[in-house]
Amino acid sequence: MAQALGEDLVQPSELQDDSSSLGSDSELSGPGPYRQADRYGFIGGSSAEPGPGHPPADLIRQREMKWVEMTSHWEKTMSRRYKKVKMQCRKGIPSALRARCWPLLCGAHVCQKNSPGTYQKLAEAPGDPQWMETIGRDLHRQFPLHEMFVSPQGHGQQGLLQVLKAYTLYRPEQGYCQAQGPVAAVLLMHLPPEEAFWCLVQICEVYLPGYYGPHMEAVRLDAEVFMALLRRQLPRVHKHLQQVGVGPLLYLPEWFLCLFARSLPFPTVLRVWDAFLSEGAKVLFRVGLTLVRLALGTAEQRGACPGLLETLGALRAIPPTQLQEEVFMSQVHGVALSERDLQREIRVQLAQLPESAPGPPPQPQARLAGAQAVFEAQQLAGARRGAKPEVPRIVVQPPEEPRPPRRKPQTRGKTFHGLLTRARGPPIEGPPRSHRGSASFLDTRF
Amino acid sequence: MGNGTEEDYNFVFKVVLIGESGVGKTNLLSRFTRNEFNHDSRTTIGVEFSTRTVMLGTAAVKAQIWDTAGLERYRAITSAYYRGGVGALLVFDLTKHQTYAVVERWLKELYDHAEATIVVMLVGNKSDLSQAREVPTEEARMFAENNGLLFLETSALDSTNVELAFETVLKEIFAKVSKQRQNSTRTNAITLGSAQAGQEPGSGEKRACCISL
Repeated sequence: MAQALGEDLVQPSELQDDSSSLGSDSELSGPGPYRQADRYGFIGGSSAEPGPGHPPADLIRQREMKWVEMTSHWEKTMSRRYKKVKMQCRKGIPSALRARCWPLLCGAHVCQKNSPGTYQKLAEAPGDPQWMETIGRDLHRQFPLHEMFVSPQGHGQQGLLQVLKAYTLYRPEQGYCQAQGPVAAVLLMHLPPEEAFWCLVQICEVYLPGYYGPHMEAVRLDAEVFMALLRRQLPRVHKHLQQVGVGPLLYLPEWFLCLFARSLPFPTVLRVWDAFLSEGAKVLFRVGLTLVRLALGTAEQRGACPGLLETLGALRAIPPTQLQEEVFMSQVHGVALSERDLQREIRVQLAQLPESAPGPPPQPQARLAGAQAVFEAQQLAGARRGAKPEVPRIVVQPPEEPRPPRRKPQTRGKTFHGLLTRARGPPIEGPPRSHRGSASFLDTRF
Repeated sequence: MGNGTEEDYNFVFKVVLIGESGVGKTNLLSRFTRNEFNHDSRTTIGVEFSTRTVMLGTAAVKAQIWDTAGLERYRAITSAYYRGGVGALLVFDLTKHQTYAVVERWLKELYDHAEATIVVMLVGNKSDLSQAREVPTEEARMFAENNGLLFLETSALDSTNVELAFETVLKEIFAKVSKQRQNSTRTNAITLGSAQAGQEPGSGEKRACCISL
């Protein structure tokens, strides 16, 4: 359950020596008429009012105005002021505007525009019976205590069915992955089914390719990457995890596959998603590292976890006050992990993957690192569509210049050029500043 | 494991629940360890676990029950799940023949990843839905017998045979362990499983992590 998770985890006094990781669904006996839904729709949920640290109403108004302005000319905003978008996403998108901003950030609106009628067709087509049965079994098991998903005939479960079915028809070779359920559910809490569908497509294909398919090969790679980052940033925690035998696959998949939708208090989940749609997979790693640090960062905490079960339990029992959105997100954004660091570690781990590993090799280069990369890719694709039919899909190397030493700024031209030069290096963040007074197109990378 | 003197058990046995998605693994787990059943328990995506200490004769045994996603594709990321497991409940839904038809595949998966000596029980769950039965008891029982598996039909919903299923598996593991200990000189390592499970706590050996800062 994504509501305030800490309080729903079984309290130690109830358990004596027995521990359990089972979540809160069994604590609540199900919705009764007397139970109120909280502001996010969770029946009996604890988010009745904005928690401490929540910004005051006039600040929210201000942010709303900014977003309205930015989204009303999105292309211009993304071409020139992505940095501002990124900052605003880090601060949190006002709830009233998520429905508008999420599809823009992840490029779903462009997908929808480019494929008119596609979703309609998918929604009307009969699903593959094999997948339909599996999906059907899971419908009542996604956020069962959220008022939207309580009833099998309600628009929540029905929307979930439509969106998940549509995906299996859209990408039959990918099929259905159970983690798509919670992801689609959170999308449906904000968006109508068609938009939710395209956002799901973007997440599965562009933000996290290789996560939801039959082999989940990217999850395995990212687990190795996570451990390597942990070793570098929290070496004592890393050592402890090794000693008690807790590998990343015992806790990371649910975190990353569900984008933390089942592991954090719901307001914090939404903040994570704001940042994730803006900055990409890097955010997942930052959140994961923060959680591990909060659970096991002190010697005392590690000492209280002499074994595997206690350690896993600790990862799930972080006090909710530490997971409150403002407190938590400021720590997330403070994690020393840049996109470049991440890419480098991914390359290292990819090279070390055993060749005998089952399934296809992961393709981390297929991953786009957030809204700006998505925007540029879509712009490029749009230009190709508008151009002569036989545009070759080759990345053209820009004219050779003496390769500048590391850390020097690189040539920045127009958006397309920026995309092409990326073939030689990590994704570039930051807007091109060609409109500034300075004559050169040089720009700092970060 | 645990806080030494507070924990009063002699053995820790790791038991894994396997089987197709939707057969009832999570509810078997919650029924046994917390006496709870939830029709809407959420889909298991990661790894879940729960423990319960039972008495087998004079020995206190802590059952560490593991649960994970049943969907095929999760196989790729759950091989670590089996490590150290000394028992397994291979669960199918007796109202859905398809979940029984794949039992052999699950057995293969199990033997590929777990110790060959692992104690396995075939469990036909949802016995409360008698009208909707698709798998005859005798058929499943014969299969279990032919493959050296224990067998029971259970209902996590009304609790039928749930305790019995887990206890039978634990007793069987215990019997194996006892026999092994009789056969070998007394050591702290029980070869049935690996270092995580089957290890005796309170034997005076401290893990390095308790000492280092």
